[in-house]
Amino acid sequence: MRIATAKETYVADEGLLTTNTQRAWMIILALVLVLAPFVLNAYWLYLACLVAINVASATGLNILTGYTGLVSLGQAAFMAVGAYAVAFLDGHLGTPFLLNIFAAGLVAAAVGVLVGVPSLRVKGLYLAIATIAASFILHFVFTHWVSVTGGMSGVNVAPARLFGIELASPFALYFVIVPITAVMVLGAANLFRTRIGRAFIAIRDRDISAEVLGIPLLQYKLMSFALSSFYAGVAGGMWAYFFRVVTPESFPFATSIFFLAAVIVGGLGTILGPILGAAFMTLVPELLKYVVEWLGPVFPNAGAALSPVRTIVFGALIVFFLVFEPQGLAEIVRRIRRFFHLWPFKT
Amino acid sequence: MTDLNRRHILGLAATAGLASTFLSTLSAFADEKELVIGGSIPLTGVFAFAGVAIEAGISDFVKIANEAGGVAGRKLRLAYEDTAYKVDQSVAVFNKLTTQNDIHLYYGDSTGFAKTINEELNRRGSILMAGASFGSELNNPEKYPFQFMAGPDYVEMIAILLEYIAKQQKGAKIVFVNSDTEFGRDPIEASVKRAKEMGLDVVGQIVTPPTAVDVSTEILKLRRANPDFTIFHGYVLAPLPEFLSQAKQLGLKSRFMGTFWSMDNSLWANVGAPADGYMGVMPYRYYYDTAPDAPILEKIRKLRPTYQATGYMQGFLTAMLMTEAAKRTLEAGKALDAKNLKASLNTIKDFDTGGIIGVPISIPGNSVPVGRIYSYSAAEKQMKPASDWISLKK
Repeated sequence: MRIATAKETYVADEGLLTTNTQRAWMIILALVLVLAPFVLNAYWLYLACLVAINVASATGLNILTGYTGLVSLGQAAFMAVGAYAVAFLDGHLGTPFLLNIFAAGLVAAAVGVLVGVPSLRVKGLYLAIATIAASFILHFVFTHWVSVTGGMSGVNVAPARLFGIELASPFALYFVIVPITAVMVLGAANLFRTRIGRAFIAIRDRDISAEVLGIPLLQYKLMSFALSSFYAGVAGGMWAYFFRVVTPESFPFATSIFFLAAVIVGGLGTILGPILGAAFMTLVPELLKYVVEWLGPVFPNAGAALSPVRTIVFGALIVFFLVFEPQGLAEIVRRIRRFFHLWPFKT
Repeated sequence: MTDLNRRHILGLAATAGLASTFLSTLSAFADEKELVIGGSIPLTGVFAFAGVAIEAGISDFVKIANEAGGVAGRKLRLAYEDTAYKVDQSVAVFNKLTTQNDIHLYYGDSTGFAKTINEELNRRGSILMAGASFGSELNNPEKYPFQFMAGPDYVEMIAILLEYIAKQQKGAKIVFVNSDTEFGRDPIEASVKRAKEMGLDVVGQIVTPPTAVDVSTEILKLRRANPDFTIFHGYVLAPLPEFLSQAKQLGLKSRFMGTFWSMDNSLWANVGAPADGYMGVMPYRYYYDTAPDAPILEKIRKLRPTYQATGYMQGFLTAMLMTEAAKRTLEAGKALDAKNLKASLNTIKDFDTGGIIGVPISIPGNSVPVGRIYSYSAAEKQMKPASDWISLKK
């Protein structure tokens, strides 16, 4: 049982990490993240980078959907805007890697603000439909603005370069993608300790009351859209450097659903939620492949015969978690923490 | 009590996941005397129908080749995983298989994957890749030096159709109908140009959404254009049956044609009467073809007594050609790297495919520009040859 964690100041109470145990775990996590690329093989590093990119985008969607209560199905389109922005800047202007990534976020944020304008009038499912419509419009632009997007065949992106080092392999990219994602997650965690973040939560809980409290709805809703699409744009930019080719089919509509599912499975309105959700949604299909592989010796032609079963199992797992953990995977972590806090007493 | 159960179940699930990961890592091995064909194959998702057939085709080729003693003393093995036809998963499978196995031959599942992995192939310089894509962009040995396709690219497929049309009817009126996807748009611009050069009259171009179901407005456009031939590209089946049946109801005289992925016999067998007379280009013989110069089809029928889809032949021939490249490289005593493998592949000249393709083939570049026109007979429920084999001259 943990004792003596009483806070004496408001600053201490607002701290991101309030106990030494938390700090210790965070140091361990940081060490694991630093050492991982030296231990993991190319396949796991590839997945680690992919998870990091998805975490960045899911965290963005969580700001909008989880914290501000605005349902969006346009996250993939915003990512595509970021990816194309990187491809354009890198190919036409030759600007440096980090600047391109940042600019990708800004361009996506600008598009996000435009898409977010209807959010003042429509909410819930209606807004979801509006964002779907926006993603179809953006898809049309990607397909037809050939001079920028390369049309249907898309654009190739040269390997990222940082301080003269070429970042072509997952090993090299890991060292930029994971820190950028870490900073973005940290940024999101801090956001909700500020007036802006709290305003988002107030809007989510009851927008009329929020307005009565003095929160200008349009400004804050658009700000939420801008921030969310900034995250998507940066994630899309990293995606572009990671896969090195961007086509209109790189970010299908299903990707938006993927992110919404990741946020819901992980836990809406928590910082940990999108991290766990994105990792779950990215890694579980891969881990299930190991089960199929494992069954290879006992099940003839396991790969072809069991692959459809694997997708059913994945779907069933999502339903399972939604039923048994409606508050998401983050709730499991919270319960584990509570168990240790109260041990040896029963939670 | 409920809590306890839930925790137990979650714990068990996590343990099972970790255990399977660990065990499969243990089971990964590499054998010096093996030649491994890696594969990112779509066994689920929208392209699963083809992926399952492709996997069967490659597996059977591997089996037949191993029974005949393998390749230059090495046993062939197929190491593959499902990609759900998603580029990121295809790349994950590529990374996984190449870390677990010593792979020099690889089968990729889409144009998107071929484009994405190209830089990595060039960087590694150790893998020759082919796949399910006939994207014309890939038919460029300078940009894609370590890739090839076991058939004509989409532009070449339509060129074969155009040659057939030009022979049938000089100055015929043509309409192109394509889906609004990378796959659908791929050959259109080049084909319109080629048709005009061949003296054919392109009277219209129709673009449909990839998942179009209602095609009544497109049919009206088609009626106004009144073409002699309508060429579809970028579809597997839907909305072609709808086009065909509505066109028949309106009494349009146009003949309807398609390209490889819309030419599977079993797909059209389910469509029934409206499918009668549908034509298209097919680079391979069908499963049921009993031509005397096709001994390999006889073997395939013995291995698998029921009909195998066109993807099967594609997978089988792809595996055959990449293995032939490896065989030639090993027999010349050269290292199995991408450059040698591709150079060996390009030495393939007047090669007998055992009857999968009805004429000897050569691979001077990245494609095999050969095909034949088939026409569907609803009465016999079979695609029947409508022309001889057509080889394109560059």
